[in-house]
Amino acid sequence: MRKLLAVAVLAMAFLGIDGLAAEKYVVGVDAAFPPWTWVERGEYKGFDVEVMTRIAALLGFEIEIRDMPWETIVTALAQGKIDILMSGLSITCERMKVIDYSEPYWSVDQAILVREDSALNAITAMIGGRTVGAQSGTTGYMWLEDNLVAQGIGIKVRAYPTYEEAILDLERGRLDSVLCDTDTAQSYIDAGRRVKIVGIVKTGEQYAYAVTKGDPYRLLPKINAGLVQLYESGEWAELVQKYFPGRPVEKIPLKLSLVCR
Amino acid sequence: MAEFFSLAQRSLPALLAGTGMALQLTFVCIAIGFIIGVLIALGRVYGTKPIYVLASAYVEFIRGTPLLVQLFAIYYGLPDLGIVLQPVLAAGIAFGINTAAYQAEYFRGAIQSIRAGQMLAARSIGMTKWQAIRLVILPQALRIAIPAWSNELIYMLKYTSLAFVVGVPEIIARANIIASRNFRYFEMYVLASFIYLALVGTFTWLLSILEKQVTIPGLEMKL
Amino acid sequence: MPPLSEMNWDVLLAELPILVGSVVVVAEVLFGVMSFGFFLGLGLATMEVYGGVFSNCAAFIQRFFRAIPPIVLLLLVFYLPFDIPPLLVAILGLGLCSAAYQSQIFRAAIQSVRTGEIVAARALGMTKLQAVLHIVLPQALRRAIGPWTNEFASEIKDTSLIYVVGIPELLRRARYIIAYTRGNALLMYAIVAVIYFILTRFGTSFLYWLEGRLWVPGFERRGQVRASTGAVPR
Repeated sequence: MRKLLAVAVLAMAFLGIDGLAAEKYVVGVDAAFPPWTWVERGEYKGFDVEVMTRIAALLGFEIEIRDMPWETIVTALAQGKIDILMSGLSITCERMKVIDYSEPYWSVDQAILVREDSALNAITAMIGGRTVGAQSGTTGYMWLEDNLVAQGIGIKVRAYPTYEEAILDLERGRLDSVLCDTDTAQSYIDAGRRVKIVGIVKTGEQYAYAVTKGDPYRLLPKINAGLVQLYESGEWAELVQKYFPGRPVEKIPLKLSLVCR
Repeated sequence: MAEFFSLAQRSLPALLAGTGMALQLTFVCIAIGFIIGVLIALGRVYGTKPIYVLASAYVEFIRGTPLLVQLFAIYYGLPDLGIVLQPVLAAGIAFGINTAAYQAEYFRGAIQSIRAGQMLAARSIGMTKWQAIRLVILPQALRIAIPAWSNELIYMLKYTSLAFVVGVPEIIARANIIASRNFRYFEMYVLASFIYLALVGTFTWLLSILEKQVTIPGLEMKL
Repeated sequence: MPPLSEMNWDVLLAELPILVGSVVVVAEVLFGVMSFGFFLGLGLATMEVYGGVFSNCAAFIQRFFRAIPPIVLLLLVFYLPFDIPPLLVAILGLGLCSAAYQSQIFRAAIQSVRTGEIVAARALGMTKLQAVLHIVLPQALRRAIGPWTNEFASEIKDTSLIYVVGIPELLRRARYIIAYTRGNALLMYAIVAVIYFILTRFGTSFLYWLEGRLWVPGFERRGQVRASTGAVPR
């Protein structure tokens, strides 16, 4: 019996059921979404990682970053399995029903990517017969479904676990084009991937951080205040310069552009 | 509950299309695996030393590594060597290569259960070794193997659920796409498990019928 | 992400320890899965053999969890409306699947012990529970080690699925490196495959060694018990 008890204690220590330290929040990311979140030598890197780390330091809470498949991440947040979500998360009406957003902090559209040597243009990259890729569960994927597939345009849409794999497949010719958030698309080009942008779909999306519906830990006021503090102290402009050289700095917080019925 | 049924009703067409894909993939990989598997089994039983070593290494390595890693290596890795396969084909080949190693073990066991005297008898009436294998050994061995081999078919049916990682629109992929809109992942996976339960149940039943059909009356089995 | 030339060996070598480090996570999950599967599996098997009216119930549970793909089980547990830590989700998800397979192994092992032994134990004045605990299980469990080793190997391989519940295991970490170094996909997946191969080889030889240590002289060995279906272990 004593042996059994020892095993049970060991198992519990092992699983870390001993309770988390106070004020430590789990932040879910998709660690394959440059320049917002990625992993380099075992460490989380990216614009969102730096912003959230600084906000946490400013407002006195701790964060633990957890890499999860994008598919599961919004629902995990809705169910309270994670406390904060960041990874270039677009505000959408569907998501707004299940999670709460911070103030928007970034504006993006969707870029149409093709191979570097391709002769396709914005129109021919997405007409009937083409195979277009996007990460499963992203606004890019949903745009393809809603605006092309649902309109009866005979394209094949292929869902990928991450954009990394979609870009790989585009380079290797298994896809004709990829629809991807503009800044992420640009980061692939900057990293020397053999792809180019041939057009922009003006979706007018905005990024924000998100918390569980009802904000059970009162995190949104902190995140919003942190965003403004970073902007006013000039750190925000530094970060924008670091990750997006030459890009004009917009005033934080942005005005929410999305209108849901 | 009523909500669940309406969700089920709305997602059924997509899930059934995914089921079609899963079945297609199962048959393709089982067929590929069957052909490679028989050859590997023959190589391990009748092959010369180098063939035996090669065949055994294949079986050991495939059985020692995860199917998902093999799938990633074939779909995302092989293009490094200039081999670019479309998703369904890549998944079919990856699963086929995997199941071949296991099918080979079923066939090897069955071949070895046939008495060596049969080979001698076949050779003594003038058959070549290959003729003896093709006309005497294999017809018996394959029939003996089927009851146990049916486990492999059911296993592959379940594991086609991994094909979504390379963009094959099978059951899980369809469930994901629907759930990414309404966030009702749990319900969608419950529906997916019902489909798998139904598929596995049906296959178990069909295979038990097949088993009765192929039994050789009076043949002693030493599996 | 800084641009890199292809096949940058320095970067690859620097990243490798992180990849190998995930073996620890795999070991943790595996320990949990096999223990959970052991207790639940043994419980189900005992119920199936001695449970009387519950026997069919145990058989049904076992068949149910065998029919559902492990990845679906993992996701179902993940989406349960409770806050379960990822490690525990992985252990439960794979553990339910393993319990079903382990129960088959234990059932066959229990049934391989002659019924006469229970009769003899009862004749000595033992209760049925005592007879099962002290006579049947010590023999059955020894015989189960062989097939149990195969199940162990197959669970090592299934740990490659746990990224779906948010645990970055070997394969996911390999994908970080592929993304960061822009390529080397085949090489990275080959490295992952080799690590898994070593793990399954090392794990199974350890268990076979253990089987030898636990062997009682004169006792019938491995090969005596195989899952009733005669399946080649996956």
